[in-house]
Amino acid sequence: MMNRIRGLGAATLLQLEEIGEVVRFGGRILRATTRPPFRWRAFMAAVYDSGVLSVALICASGLTVGFVLGLQLYNTLIRFGAEDSLGTAVGLSLIRELGPVLTGLLVTGRAGSAITAEIGAMRTGQQLDGLRMMAIDPIHYIVMPRATALAFVMPLLSALFVVLGVFGAYLIGVELLGLDGGAYLGSLEAAVEFRTDVLQSLVKSLIFGLLLGLIATWRGYSCEPHSAGVSRATTSTVVTASICILLADYLLTALWSL
Amino acid sequence: MTEADPEPGHVEIRGVALAFGRRRVFESLDCSFVRGRISVLMGGSGTGKSTLLRMIGGLQRPDEGSIHVAGEEIVGLGEIGLARVRDRLGMLFQNGALLDSMSVFDNVALPLREHTDLPAAEIAERVHDRLAAVGLSDIDDLLPGELSGGMLRRAALARAIVMEPEILLCDEPFSGLDPPNVSRVEALLSHLNRDRGLTVIVTSHHMATSLRMAHRILLLRNGGCVEGSPAQLASSRDSAIREFLGKDGAEYLAHHGHEFQGADG
Repeated sequence: MMNRIRGLGAATLLQLEEIGEVVRFGGRILRATTRPPFRWRAFMAAVYDSGVLSVALICASGLTVGFVLGLQLYNTLIRFGAEDSLGTAVGLSLIRELGPVLTGLLVTGRAGSAITAEIGAMRTGQQLDGLRMMAIDPIHYIVMPRATALAFVMPLLSALFVVLGVFGAYLIGVELLGLDGGAYLGSLEAAVEFRTDVLQSLVKSLIFGLLLGLIATWRGYSCEPHSAGVSRATTSTVVTASICILLADYLLTALWSL
Repeated sequence: MTEADPEPGHVEIRGVALAFGRRRVFESLDCSFVRGRISVLMGGSGTGKSTLLRMIGGLQRPDEGSIHVAGEEIVGLGEIGLARVRDRLGMLFQNGALLDSMSVFDNVALPLREHTDLPAAEIAERVHDRLAAVGLSDIDDLLPGELSGGMLRRAALARAIVMEPEILLCDEPFSGLDPPNVSRVEALLSHLNRDRGLTVIVTSHHMATSLRMAHRILLLRNGGCVEGSPAQLASSRDSAIREFLGKDGAEYLAHHGHEFQGADG
């Protein structure tokens, strides 16, 4: 029994130690953003890798989620004679929750894991040590552009997801099921407010991007320097970032409701 | 075996201890690397040759002891302090450690672009000069993954010397090279040492080359080290040293007119 308690205590201490290291790592990234030169070329390359190359995935996912939402919500609302509120229901659920959260999860799987694998492979190949020996800070040169790029692209991709979702639900509700297009767009416009809905959505996705940028780069930077270590770090990025995004979504929603 | 050396150590290791888990690599290691000399670190696998280079570069902290590099204590320095020391170091890693998403040219040019304001034409000239010195040409646009092991290591050596460091750390620079390129790299290191006063610290299993080029050899064993000139080590009575140096040691002595006597073990 005592051994179990000791084991639990040791595991807790290790977790706390890692959280402390992650916070310190985040501080180093933050400091790197303020230290010139800003790595514009590396930042733009990371925006391309994490953002532009995710556009097809986000469009396809947004459109599909819009189809499903349109169908399910129409079938539910029509029971209460409230099918004209489809635009409201689709818009609010996508803008407030589904857009930022699903985009966060999709970008985690596509770009976050790739960044962890890339940095992990660089660590395994001693490329990060090589940079240090040239008196080049790997946090400034490698980590910071990728982490900031994730934070930059997440709100943009989330907005794209929402637009495609709303459009997908429009196709199903209006074009397929015969709802009035004016009613759909009118209820959407009437229900959505900038501060409570759009701004909340953008802030959420920005925070998800910051979280993912921190977790993905940390996991790669601190992975065990062998192929199995890179593999474990990549998996860990997807699991940890997904849980953090869902947890942060709840906390942010609760805070915004205060 | 350690002889009193009148010259100050460019790199001084004092009382260094290091363990990975239960495996003790160094126990109170003392050694020094003299300014402007070529020192070769030798020893069996797992004796800590590469680890010692990493410690000198500040990439690995010892558990105990002090390491002075160019007069500065580096144990306990933060990344900013270490970066200041590393400005004076060049390091060739065993696997090259070139950035695999960059061309060879960009890899070699990287430290120049980061730390100098040289115009592009001058950077290109310096890069080509260093690549030519290691026997590489027409590979500017190739990625590291497209090079053979020997070419990769030579490109990495070009990067390590492009900033004209005071101290060059080379982890197995001859490994994987064909005989002409072993000679080329040996000649280059000797030239840099002779003409520019570069302090060179090399790990190597290449016995004949090491004996030929080294001013001093440090043989790591049992958590410590035995050091001396090639002649001193080759003429050691210590059977373990003689066994380690093998027939290359005997040939070296024969060529230099020594006998297996004189030095202690």
